[in-house]
Amino acid sequence: MRLSAVAVPLVLVLAASLTACGGSDDADPPASSQGATADGDDVAITVTREGDAFTPNGERVELAVDQTLVLTIDADEAGELHVHSTPEQEIEYDAGTSEHELTIDRPGVVEVESHEPDIVLLQLEVR
Amino acid sequence: MRISAHGLGGAKDLPIPSELAIAGAVAALVISFTVLAIAWREPRYDVATSGRPAPMWLDRLVSSRALAVTARVLGMAFFLYVAAAAVLGKDSAVNPFLGTFYVLLWVGLVPASLLLGPFFKAVSPARTISMLFARVSGVPEGEGLRAYPERLGYWPAALGLFTFVWLELVYPNATDVGPVRLWCAAYLGIMLIGSAVWGTTFLARADPFEVYSSLVAKLSIWGRRDGRLVLRSPLANLDTFVARPGLVAVVGVLFGSTAFDSFRESTPWLKLVQSMSGSRVLPDTLALIGFSAGVAIVLTIATMATGVTSGTPRRALPDLFAHSVVPIIVGYIVAHYLTYFVEYGQRTLLDLSDPFTRGDDYLGTADLQINYWLSNHPTFLAVTKVVAVALGHVVGVVAAHDRAIRLLPRRHQLTGQLPLLVAMVGFTVGGLYLLFAA
Repeated sequence: MRLSAVAVPLVLVLAASLTACGGSDDADPPASSQGATADGDDVAITVTREGDAFTPNGERVELAVDQTLVLTIDADEAGELHVHSTPEQEIEYDAGTSEHELTIDRPGVVEVESHEPDIVLLQLEVR
Repeated sequence: MRISAHGLGGAKDLPIPSELAIAGAVAALVISFTVLAIAWREPRYDVATSGRPAPMWLDRLVSSRALAVTARVLGMAFFLYVAAAAVLGKDSAVNPFLGTFYVLLWVGLVPASLLLGPFFKAVSPARTISMLFARVSGVPEGEGLRAYPERLGYWPAALGLFTFVWLELVYPNATDVGPVRLWCAAYLGIMLIGSAVWGTTFLARADPFEVYSSLVAKLSIWGRRDGRLVLRSPLANLDTFVARPGLVAVVGVLFGSTAFDSFRESTPWLKLVQSMSGSRVLPDTLALIGFSAGVAIVLTIATMATGVTSGTPRRALPDLFAHSVVPIIVGYIVAHYLTYFVEYGQRTLLDLSDPFTRGDDYLGTADLQINYWLSNHPTFLAVTKVVAVALGHVVGVVAAHDRAIRLLPRRHQLTGQLPLLVAMVGFTVGGLYLLFAA
């Protein structure tokens, strides 16, 4: 049947791509890898708040599973950050400078967001 | 607790690796031109003859009144259960009404329809209530006060789908129970009034969920011919979808909104809308319209750019070819929503056991653990996504090819297919790019 002829290139290309990324499969972090912090240092990010203005603005940050992200929050008023991991985490901060630690235990993209006003500060690419 | 302002669910999928995205794009190109070069030259799919009859016992079971009534009763019971949570439950993200609406219904109707055929039609509460009304008032089943205007086609469904995706993807309070409940009440009201006026035909053309489900159901193996249950290949089944005005708009909203969902979380767009003064509702709305209309316009132009026979007017072509984009949509939706469906779907099953958030365990599922295997295997996930997109692309291209050799004059069959083929490669590569970049 002609349809099978269509399937041949598909299978070939997909097989090629599967073998191509076979190497990266090894880099797949195991589910309960505690080792990620051992070889990597902490990642440090400073968040500043002046009234309703925040920095950074939707920055992408690469992070390993279970690696510690140290957030230094420099704010002129107290507030709360929501970390949209599964399940959600919350970071409450006071006015002034404070330091907070954050780890994510599963691969994915996790947004760190301020509420009132709703602004995404960081997108953590956790691998 | 204040709920997330950006939809249900926590972490999103990682972007797919560049080499996989490129492999998928290359596969799409190769498949497209292979189909064009070697596929059949005479149309293969014919509604009147395709499909082999299902075994008699299966036909009898599927067509039985008992099964139909069971499906309606189960659908209605589930609807009332979730409606109770919507009305009496807490306004919080753990209210199972939200998860049921956005995940089990909206995403779940795709796998349900792929496996079972027109699933939503069989359980639709709007259809059940309107059938009960008709019975009580003595109206013959399915009939309304007037005939549904043919010109309207699927346009009402396209509009309904657009309001749904706007609520889900743009509206800032999409995860508050109140507005979602209001949307559902309006939807139900319109469906009941519409079906009273135009009969159940209205539901088949205007109910966004029923149209979406029936469209995806054409990729299942279940079909009917002269009342008999037949088993068809998904390709032959897809060909039996009856084109009507507005189908291009339905396809545009379905594909455009899913693409917009990736796009709105991409860093450049996020930075842009957050650096503007004012809320992001307006730019997001414009982008959603742009994506949906963009898909519809590209499809319209690509299908009309061919020579035609006198039998088929050029302006009928977009709707006659729109079905071939459905497999591409389904592939892309699998890629986009797989983790969300599997993991947030489990979350919703747990929440459903405690609809009023008081610690009840009606279904016995409250203490189950959510399985995050899929999130923990990002490479497997990425490969699955690209395979789904590529598979959708093959089916779409073959469906378009068969339609082209049926409809187009012989000397335009090859050149006439090219614009649509280019558009399809564009859709697939665009989808892969968003999976990679967003």
